[in-house]
Amino acid sequence: MKIRFVALIVVLAIGLSACRSGSTSKKYFVAFSQCNNAEPYRAAQNQLMEKLFKEKGDVQLVIADGQQDNSKQIAQIETFIRQKPDLLIVAPNERTPLTDVMGRAIAAGIPVICLERDITQENYTTFIGADNLAIGKMAGQFMVDSLTHKFGKPRGKIVEMRGLLGVEAEMERYNGAHDVLKATPQIQVVHEAVADWLQDNARARMLEILRAQPEIDMVYGHNDPMGAGAYLAARELGREKQMQFIGVDGLGGTAGGIKKVMDGVLAATFYYPLCVDKAVEVGERILHDPAFHPDKKYTLQPKLITPENAGEMYGKLTF
Amino acid sequence: MMQLSPKLAKAQTGSAQSAGSEVSARPIRKRLQNIFGLFLVVVIALIASPHSPRGDLIFLEAGNITDVLRQVSEIGIISLGMTFVILTGGIDLSVGTVLALASSLVALVLTRAPLGMSSAMIVAAALFISVAAATLTGFTNGYIIARLRIQPFIVTLAMMIGVRGLARWLTSNTNIDIGFGMDAASVFARSFSTKTIVIGSYVLVAIALAAVLSKTVFGRYVRAVGDNEKAARYAGLPISRTKTLVYTMTGLLAGYAGVLHAAQNHQGNPNSGVAYELDAIAAVVIGGTSLMGGSGSISGTVVGTLIIGVLTNILRLNNVDSNVEMMIKATIILVAVWVQRAGKDAT
Repeated sequence: MKIRFVALIVVLAIGLSACRSGSTSKKYFVAFSQCNNAEPYRAAQNQLMEKLFKEKGDVQLVIADGQQDNSKQIAQIETFIRQKPDLLIVAPNERTPLTDVMGRAIAAGIPVICLERDITQENYTTFIGADNLAIGKMAGQFMVDSLTHKFGKPRGKIVEMRGLLGVEAEMERYNGAHDVLKATPQIQVVHEAVADWLQDNARARMLEILRAQPEIDMVYGHNDPMGAGAYLAARELGREKQMQFIGVDGLGGTAGGIKKVMDGVLAATFYYPLCVDKAVEVGERILHDPAFHPDKKYTLQPKLITPENAGEMYGKLTF
Repeated sequence: MMQLSPKLAKAQTGSAQSAGSEVSARPIRKRLQNIFGLFLVVVIALIASPHSPRGDLIFLEAGNITDVLRQVSEIGIISLGMTFVILTGGIDLSVGTVLALASSLVALVLTRAPLGMSSAMIVAAALFISVAAATLTGFTNGYIIARLRIQPFIVTLAMMIGVRGLARWLTSNTNIDIGFGMDAASVFARSFSTKTIVIGSYVLVAIALAAVLSKTVFGRYVRAVGDNEKAARYAGLPISRTKTLVYTMTGLLAGYAGVLHAAQNHQGNPNSGVAYELDAIAAVVIGGTSLMGGSGSISGTVVGTLIIGVLTNILRLNNVDSNVEMMIKATIILVAVWVQRAGKDAT
C-alpha cells in the first residue's frame, strides 16, 4: 500500500509541475474568462483572440471555460484575481450573477474588459458589445424587402425560430424584427417556435410546423444553426424551394453561417461582431499606455451578408 | 439462521452502547487514511502552487483558501446528505434539480413578495418556503422508496426530471434576478453570499451530521440498513422510517444549498445545478463511502470534497486547460477509490 501512495505522489507531482506554464519571460499575462467554449460563436471568439494576441507577441493568454455555468465562471474569475493578471477579459455567462465578481476584480486593481454581454453594474473598465436590436431590425427589413420582391407587394408568411427565451440576445433579435414588421400587416408571423439556438431542435420543430402550415415564405432563425435546421426539415419534405431561410451570427469557417450563404442554404445571414478585434486593440493600449483611458462603452455594428459579399466576408472571418 | 453483522448487533442494542466502542469499531487507521489523502493533495498543492509577485505561494493566501472553501460549500452540503443516502445503499439523483427549485423559489418569493411586508419577514418567508419545498421533495422520494419499494435510482431519477419541470414552470423558464439595491432580495443576497455564512453553514452542518452518524441510534440504523437490509428487517429496525428520514434530510440540505446558490449568483435559476448530483456522489465516493452501503463516514466525505476543491484550485492557478482538468479529475476519482480498496485489502 505504501508503494501505491508513493507512486501516486510522484506521478501527481510530476504531472502538475509539467502542467505549469514554463515561460516566465516578461510577457503580459492576459486572462480571458469565456462563458461557454461549446458555442460556435464563442469558439470563434477564442480562436480570433489567440490569433491576434499571438501576432502581437508580447502576451501570454490564458482562456478559462465557464461551461455555461455561472458558479463555475465566478470561481474561475476568483482564481484569476488571485493570479493578478495584467488584463482580465470576461465574456459573462449571464448579466447579474457575474456582476459582483467582476467588481471584485476591479477592486483588486485589475483592468477588466467586459465582452459582448453587459452586466448589471458598470464593474468594468470598458464594455465592448454589439447591437442585437440593430440586427433584428436589419433582419426585419431584409424580410420585408425580400417578400415585397417575391409578391410585388409586402405580404407573406414568416416562421420564426427563437433562441433560449429570456436571453437578451434572443429578445432583441425578436423585438428588432417585430419593430419593422409592425408596419406591414400583410406580412404575418404564422408560427414562433423555441429551438434554444440548436440546429437539431430547429429541425424537429420545423418538421411539425411544415405539417401544420401549408404556406411558408420565409424562416427567420435567430441564429444560423436554427436557420439551417429549418432548411434541413423543409428539404426532407421537398419544400425548401418554396421559402427562404435567414440566420444570424455569420461566422466564418466551414461550419459557419457564411458558408451556408455561399452554399445556398441561407438567403442571408447577419454578421454579429465577435468584438474580439476591438477588445485586443483596446486591451493592448491598456497594457502599454498607463495614461490611456478607454471609452466606457464601444458598440460595434452588424453587417448583412448575402451571396454577393459572402466570399469576401468568408475570407475575412475564417481563421 | 441469519448471521447478524457487528454493525447490526450494535444498532440493535441501541444507545446503550457507549460512544467509545464506536471509535474502536471504526479502525483509526481508516480515519487516518482519509486525512492522509487530504494531506497528500495539500502537499501537492504546495509543490505546484505558483508564486505571487512578492514570492508567496498563491495557494496559501487566506483569500485563496477561503475562495476554495466557499466554492466547495454548495456541493459539500449536498454531499453530506448524499453520504447518508449512500450509506443506506441508496442514491439520490434529484439533488441538483432540487437545488434549482429552491434557488428559483427563494428568488421568486423575494422579488414578488407583497408590498407592506418587512424585509426580515420577506427573507424569512422566502427561506422557509424554498427549504420546505425542497424538504417535501426529499420526503416524497423517501416515502416512495420505503413504502412502495421502488428502487431509489428510479424514484430519484423521476424526481429529478419532474422537479426540473416544476422549477421551469414556476419561473416560466426564465431566471429571476436579484438586484443590488436595498430591497429585501438584495439584503438577502448580500448577507447569504458572505464567506462567513457560506463556509460557516457547511462547517456547522458537517459537524452536526458527523455527530448524528456516529453518536445517535439513528446513525446506527442508517449503517445497519445499508449493511444488510434483510437482517435489519428481521431484527425489527425501523427501516422505512430510517430511509424516509434520510431522503427528507437530503432534500432539506439540497434546498439550503439552493438558497446559498441563489444568494451567491444573485439569481434564482431553474436551469442551474446540472450534474451537481454527480459531483456530490464523486465527493462521497472519493471520501471512501461504499456505493453498496453500510460503510463510510462524514469526515471522509468532507475530505473527498476538499480534495476535489483543492485540486481544481491548483489546476486553475496553473492555468491547466479545463478539458485536461476533467480528465485529471476522472483519474483522481478512480485512483482514490483504488487506494481505499488497497486499505481494505490490507485489513
